[in-house]
Formats: sequence, C-alpha cells, structure tokens
Amino acid sequence: MLAFLDRKNTVAPAGFNRFMVPPAALSVHLAIGQAYAFSTFNLPLTKLIGINHSAPGDWKLAQVGWTFSIAIAILGISAAVFGRWVETVGPRKSMFTAAVCFGGGFMVSAIGIHLHQIWLLYLGYGVLGGCGLGIGYISPVSTLIKWFPDRPGMATGLAIMGFGGGALIAAPLSFWLMEHFRTAQSNGILETFVTMGVIYFMFMMIGVYAVRVPAEDWKPKGWVAPAQPKPLVTNAQVTLDVAWRTPQFWLLWVALCMNVTAGIGVLGQASPMIQEIFNGRVSPAAAAGFVGLLSLFNMGGRFFWATASDYIGRRNTYMVFFVLGILLYSTVPTIGHLGSIGLFVTAFLIIISMYGGSFSTVPAYLRDLFGTMHVGAIHGALLTAWSAAGVLGPVLVNYIRQYQIAHGVPKTQAYSITMYIMCGVLLIGFFCNLAMRAVDAKHHFRASPKSGTAPNAGVQA
Amino acid sequence: MNTRLVLLWLAVGIPLLWGVLKTLENALKLFH
Repeated sequence: MLAFLDRKNTVAPAGFNRFMVPPAALSVHLAIGQAYAFSTFNLPLTKLIGINHSAPGDWKLAQVGWTFSIAIAILGISAAVFGRWVETVGPRKSMFTAAVCFGGGFMVSAIGIHLHQIWLLYLGYGVLGGCGLGIGYISPVSTLIKWFPDRPGMATGLAIMGFGGGALIAAPLSFWLMEHFRTAQSNGILETFVTMGVIYFMFMMIGVYAVRVPAEDWKPKGWVAPAQPKPLVTNAQVTLDVAWRTPQFWLLWVALCMNVTAGIGVLGQASPMIQEIFNGRVSPAAAAGFVGLLSLFNMGGRFFWATASDYIGRRNTYMVFFVLGILLYSTVPTIGHLGSIGLFVTAFLIIISMYGGSFSTVPAYLRDLFGTMHVGAIHGALLTAWSAAGVLGPVLVNYIRQYQIAHGVPKTQAYSITMYIMCGVLLIGFFCNLAMRAVDAKHHFRASPKSGTAPNAGVQA
Repeated sequence: MNTRLVLLWLAVGIPLLWGVLKTLENALKLFH
C-alpha cells in the first residue's frame, strides 16, 4: 500500500492521457471545498442537547464559529509548512494524507459531538481537517502545471474551481443528511459527520488512484517551449528558500491578500448586506438565492479568469481584477441609492468571480515568475496571504458597518464607506501588481556540477 | 474514447452538476 503511494510509482506510462489528471485534482478540491459550507452545521451544533432549540448546556454560536476560523488558519499554515514535503513525496502520497486528515477530522469531530466536548471539534475539523485542507489544496497544483505547460492557467483553474464548487455540493448534502438522520432523540448531526467523513475520504481516493506525474522529459505532443519567453515568464527555476526572499513573492503576496480581502468580506456578509441596502425589497429566501449565485460565480470565475490568463498574461489578468474591482466597488453605493437590485447583483457577481479568479490564477503567476521546480511549495507559502485576508476582510466590513450604525448612519447607507475602503484596498494591490518585474537572474537556480540537475542539491547564482 | 477517462470525469462531474442545479433552484428565488 505504501509503495503504491510513492512518487516513483506514480510516473505515467507512455501514452497516458493527461486529461485524467484534472478530474483527479478536482476530486480532492471538490471534497475540501466543503469547508465553505461549514456554516450549515453552525445552528445544529448549538442544539445538540435541546434538539429543536438551544438548551442551557448547549454550545454557543460564537464557540462553534471558531471551528471554521481555526480550519482556515490551519489551511494557510499547513500549506506553508508542508509545501516542501508535498513537492518531495509527490501528489499521490500528499493527496492520501489530505484524505486521511480531512476524513479523520470529521470522525474526531463526531466523537467530540458524541461526548459533547468542543475541544475535540476544534481538534478534529479545525486542526486535523485544516491540515487536510492545506495539504489537499496544494497537492495537485505543481503536477497540473507540469502536465499542462502550454495551458497552466486553465489546468490549475479547473482544479481550484473545485474548491469553489465544493460548497455547492456540501450545503444541500449536509441538509439532506441531517434531515435523513434526524430522530426525536438526535438532530442527526453526529451521523451526518460520520457519513460525510466516509464519503469525502472515498471521493478523495478517486484522485489518489488516478493521479500521475509526467516523466522527466515528457512534453505535450508537438509543443515546444518558446525560446523567447513572454515578458514576466521565465524558463529558469527559483527554489523556495530563495523565492520567499524576493520582492516578487511579497508583491504577489500583498496583491493576492488585497484582492481576497475585498472579496471575502462581501462573501461573509452578502445575505444581510443585500437585505439592509434594499430594505424590505429582498426577503431572506431571496438573499439566500443571492448567496447561491455568488457561490456559482466564485466557482465559474476560477476557471474563466485562470483560462483567460493563458491568453492575456497573469499580470494583465490581475490588472483587470484591480481596475474593474475599483470601478465596481466605487459605483455600488450609487447603485444602492438608485435602488437597482439587478445592477447590484451583477456588480457583485463580477466582483466575486474575480475573487475566485485571483486564487486560481496565482499558481500560474508563480510558475511564470519562479519556474516549475518548487512551484507547489512556493504556492503553499503564498497561501498565508489568504489567512491574513480571512481576518482582514470580515473585520473591515463588520467593524466599519457597526461603527457607522453606532454613529447614526442609516442601515441602508452603512455599507457605502466600506465600499470606498475596499477601493483603497484594491488600489494597494494594483500598485503591487504594477511594480511586478521578472525575478533577477542572480536568484535563478543553477545545478551544482557534482550533483547534476537534482533540484535540492544545486547552488544559487 | 478512453473509458477510464470518461468514468473519471463522470465521477466528479455528476456531483458538481447536482450541486450547481440545487444552487440554481435556490438562486431563482431572488427573481421571484
């Protein structure tokens, strides 16, 4: 079993169809994308004793809410910490580890629910599941880039689209399972956690079974690496140890962080925001429909923008995110005053598609700047920007809104200042992206004469 | 066409399509 997981046993035979790899990656990302739908468990977890209502001994919503925050924080940390290991052991072993962590996280949480010990929920879904999220997220990325050197954006876009799409499956599945297992003595969440742990483990094993890495000298039929690469695209390699010390890494870190900050705050507040801005005209059910549409465009944007970046370039794609984002955010208050729900929804669907697009375009952007050698590990390190944005975005939206309401601003107008602040956030990202230049040749990896071209044995120029 | 390739895409495509349809069902409420 363990030998089956080794990198050397995953090298694809001649004639292997490279389009087998995107669904393998998708199976992992669709599973771990469940994290976006964790909020479906929030209320049931506060009614474990009372079943239909929260009893005095039940967990509080604020306590349960920490589970998701821990999972997202651990996602960023584990992607950064295990990035190099993922690169070394290959996609199959890392996908398997992610499946064990993510499925196991549900099981440990189920024990926590059974014993009514919240620390087991934090440890299970938060820490163990969070490691599954981080390792699973980065595990197929460098493999896809190596299989699709001609279309790296499209390939990684397909996989990372799954992370956005995971919530679309998980939300209705969770509701259906909880209803199915519900009895007079239980609200069904314990059984739902056990079932989902098994389902997601099995689903991720599809990817473990199907994934392959290309042979060292493999290239797509008829494809030749351009002798004169496009601007900002390198044929050289930069190691992780050197990459994170370059200005390019930090410029991209800030650019990603700013774009995600602008999007994540909206995603978390979408339902109350549309109801408050269009007071009395949007029902809670319609607002839930708006959240559903946002999820769809979050997913679709991941594929669309990453694929578009193969044609217009990564920096230009990010320029579109920032310029169009600033234009849209700055017009949202006016749209709110005009009372046009259609225009409001359209603006936010475009904004959220670019939020997803920034995630899916970034692996190819890193590949362009630093080469393919350590791209998975560098991507893992860059995902700490996501963790930072996960704190910054909701804080900006929630606190500024709260501050304004406390100072007498009507709820219908309380988001206007937030939108202008988001424009400022995007402007910072715009300048970071504008300042992006190719990595200096002194940072390029050169193989040591003694060790040939082994990736971890070379010297930096 | 490679059978394994088709099965693999169906394995990930069917749950994803189900999720998209369920979401669209809910999203329609926005326009009612």
